[in-house]
Amino acid sequence: MKTQDPRAKTPDATIDASCRLPLLVLFNGAALWLVLGLALSVIASLTFHKPEIFACCPMLSYGHAQAAANDLLVYGFCVPAALGVMLWIFARLSQTELVLSPLPFIAAHLWHLGVLVGLVAILTGNTSGFAWLEFPRASAMLLGVAFVLIAISAVATFGQREERELYPSHWFLLAALLWFPWIYSTANLLLVTNWPVRGVAQSIVHWWFTNNFIFVWLALVGLGVVFYLLPKLTGQPLRSKFYALFAFWTLMFFGTWAGIPAGAPVPAWLPTLSQFASMMLVIPILAVAIVLVKTLRGAKLFCGGSTYGYIRLGGLMFLPSAVLLVAAACPQYSRVLEFTWFGAAQVQLHILGFGTIVLLGAINEIVPLIMDKPLPFKKFVPWQFFLSVVGVALFVIPLLIAGVQQGHSNFEPNAGKFWLKLSMGGLVLLLLGSLLLLTNLFLMTLKWKIALVKTVAAAVVAPLENSEVKS
Amino acid sequence: MKSGFSIFLAILLTLGGSWIGFVVAPTMQLGTAKLTTALVTGDTWPQQRTGEATLGQQIYRANGCVACHTMQLRQDGVSFEVVLTSAGKINPTAVSNLISTLTLTGLNKEAADIAADKISAVGGKTETHLTATGADISNYHAVRRSVAADYLYDAPVQLGSLRAGPDLANIGARQPVAAVHLQHLYAPSSVTAKSAMPSYKFLFEVRKQINGVASPDALNLPAEFATAAGYEVVPKPEAKQLVAYLLSLRADAPLYEAPFTPATTKP
Amino acid sequence: MNDDMSDESKSCSLPSSTEPTATRSTVPMWIFVVTLLLLFLGFAFFDKKGGWFDVRVYAPYNSSEELEAAQPKSAAAVAMAAGKKNYETYCGSCHGNDGAGKIAQAPPLSGSEWVMTKGAERLAHIPLAGLGGPIKVEGKDWNMNMAAMGAGLSDTDLAAVLTYIRGSWGNKMGEVSPDDIKKVRAEVGKAPQPYTGEKLMTMPE
Repeated sequence: MKTQDPRAKTPDATIDASCRLPLLVLFNGAALWLVLGLALSVIASLTFHKPEIFACCPMLSYGHAQAAANDLLVYGFCVPAALGVMLWIFARLSQTELVLSPLPFIAAHLWHLGVLVGLVAILTGNTSGFAWLEFPRASAMLLGVAFVLIAISAVATFGQREERELYPSHWFLLAALLWFPWIYSTANLLLVTNWPVRGVAQSIVHWWFTNNFIFVWLALVGLGVVFYLLPKLTGQPLRSKFYALFAFWTLMFFGTWAGIPAGAPVPAWLPTLSQFASMMLVIPILAVAIVLVKTLRGAKLFCGGSTYGYIRLGGLMFLPSAVLLVAAACPQYSRVLEFTWFGAAQVQLHILGFGTIVLLGAINEIVPLIMDKPLPFKKFVPWQFFLSVVGVALFVIPLLIAGVQQGHSNFEPNAGKFWLKLSMGGLVLLLLGSLLLLTNLFLMTLKWKIALVKTVAAAVVAPLENSEVKS
Repeated sequence: MKSGFSIFLAILLTLGGSWIGFVVAPTMQLGTAKLTTALVTGDTWPQQRTGEATLGQQIYRANGCVACHTMQLRQDGVSFEVVLTSAGKINPTAVSNLISTLTLTGLNKEAADIAADKISAVGGKTETHLTATGADISNYHAVRRSVAADYLYDAPVQLGSLRAGPDLANIGARQPVAAVHLQHLYAPSSVTAKSAMPSYKFLFEVRKQINGVASPDALNLPAEFATAAGYEVVPKPEAKQLVAYLLSLRADAPLYEAPFTPATTKP
Repeated sequence: MNDDMSDESKSCSLPSSTEPTATRSTVPMWIFVVTLLLLFLGFAFFDKKGGWFDVRVYAPYNSSEELEAAQPKSAAAVAMAAGKKNYETYCGSCHGNDGAGKIAQAPPLSGSEWVMTKGAERLAHIPLAGLGGPIKVEGKDWNMNMAAMGAGLSDTDLAAVLTYIRGSWGNKMGEVSPDDIKKVRAEVGKAPQPYTGEKLMTMPE
């Protein structure tokens, strides 16, 4: 593929180094928000054990902590991590250095500033009142601008590619780059900025946004990354390109119409159409399953805790998550499961079990490459894997059980309480795992900065010996 | 396939479909909704909130109440009941004999029409009453499902997606006493034993009684939740606004979209 | 343990110098067949439950016809519906289907002081006997002739028309019973002369 090109190929190390600055900022911030988000989740779930625990401090009350935790997981971790991974994948697939690399570097700072502003706003009660859109106007504008700047750099890098034919991941990731600004600006303009839509039209726009962001956008990113890294890590080709594209188009075509709950107080055509679309999601689920199984069958490796383990398990997690989404939309089940913890569990499985695990694997794979150094604590990678997997299981499965119990008891107030209390254990494990990532990234950045200072100092003190300093 | 632009266009069209279907179309269909008229009474619906309740909605939003409470009632079906309004003058005995042989409650539309026709054939006069049925309806003492018209004055509309606590769409009709709501916000388990709801003590003020006399606003708490002697718990304005908002939440007027026969018109 | 782990993870991630490739095996036919089958089932589901984009159809109703049939029909509602039909046949052409009246044809009924009376006795004289000569309606002078348009209707039908007039377009007055009509019909007699506004004012409300 690359040998066909007569021109001198850009070495991978050069490509990786060109991504270093923006990706470091994106990943470091993401790791920090992940720790904070999971910590806030733990704080929120303390309320299940002792309801009156935060009666004194409104900032940490369930309504605030839960919203802040969810937003930190998604806007704090998933989006910036995904953007960083996308930049690197686009640069690698194009076999060029990152184009306009100062843009994502600046944008990464803007993004994290936006998340900080949003976090403070939620904790002080200045929320918009719409789940997953709680950030106020100032924060939403920062996030929007930052995303567009990063997308410009990613698309410019894409435009520089030497191999004209597209790899399946290109489709998924390009669609993700286009879709986020679209849904985010629509939702913010119609819901948060001012109130041009009246009444229940607000809720419809909100359901549309939530489904397209949490389910579709995260699926596009997650599958795009899996379809890139899985063949790369196993040395096997993706089987096959057309299955992946079929999954892509059906996911886009049907997935974007899901999300309006069956019992919603809106005219019958809206939830019915949504249930129809959810049922059609069976098709992309089938296609993704075939791609994953066929591609994995070639790879006879067991590497539980390696980055390959993350990507394999994370990719497979898309299947149960999407199946639960379809099941919850089935008319006969939705009657029982709607408005229970079941829905929350599906969302958390999608974010933590699928999106986060894939992105964690990608970060652990990419960071040593862009820094051209191994991670300071390599054993943290498998440790975090096991903590995350057990954590997700211990968090999501009890929530699912609690949801089913709640639905069958017809919302008896104390149904599933035991399982809710148990789910906190999973969150604690996830929090410990995220601390390992944070330690690794921060130590690595610190070492790199010290080395950088030393280089500069050496250059100033003894310019002639510059070349001997290890950078 | 090889051009980024054609892919961009194809993606744009696919995504644009869902944007038009679920953003533009519903906004045009429901975003221009106006006040409607309730059946039977002819009152306009929804009723305008008081200023205090409108402020209370912002307290509800700021505290993230939507994380645990939905505000949307579902309805599984309708049940019809045929009620005799007058036995008529022709043959009252035949009417009462006929009635004793018929099932008049829990009918579907066709069965109700048949029963009504049978009764009118012997000279009796009937009315057909309509009752909403479903788990939410019986669970939350509601009279009908929630419909779009109920939320016309809401900004933001906070339907919620999880019932960690009860549904609040009709809470103003279900529990119309403000004092109960205030006490529940201050100490939930003093109203509902083993309540899972957090306490919202920060919406209240504990202060010294003036001259040892409780102020009219002070909560009347059970002994185990009460403050020290000589002190009293008074709601801050935020708590009062929040309760005013809760009392304004009702889904109890019969509408064309969700008809039912109100209890007051039943003889 | 530590070294084992890192060795193992090294052994299963290949050097990442090669970019991934994809095989080109095509999607089999059966998956398209399943897609079409599901699409068919989905459309059938939407046709059954979706209410075809009607803004007033909510679950548990499946169509606008079903919703219309379920509307509660009290005796008053039935009378209003019958009254509307007869009003639009006999009265609407001059007074307007919106009750606003028509210039040089007939004065308005909505908000008219002749309609918004406590009882319906005086009002009932107009369709039963007819009305001629100058009268004042909502502050405006009218001078028209109206025939006894209601004389041919049964007591029940005319009562329903008057109930409809008194309960529509913002008018909110009580029902008119067939007995009221019977009484007034007896008063005006078999061959009535059209009333004047002055004579009408002498009638009890």
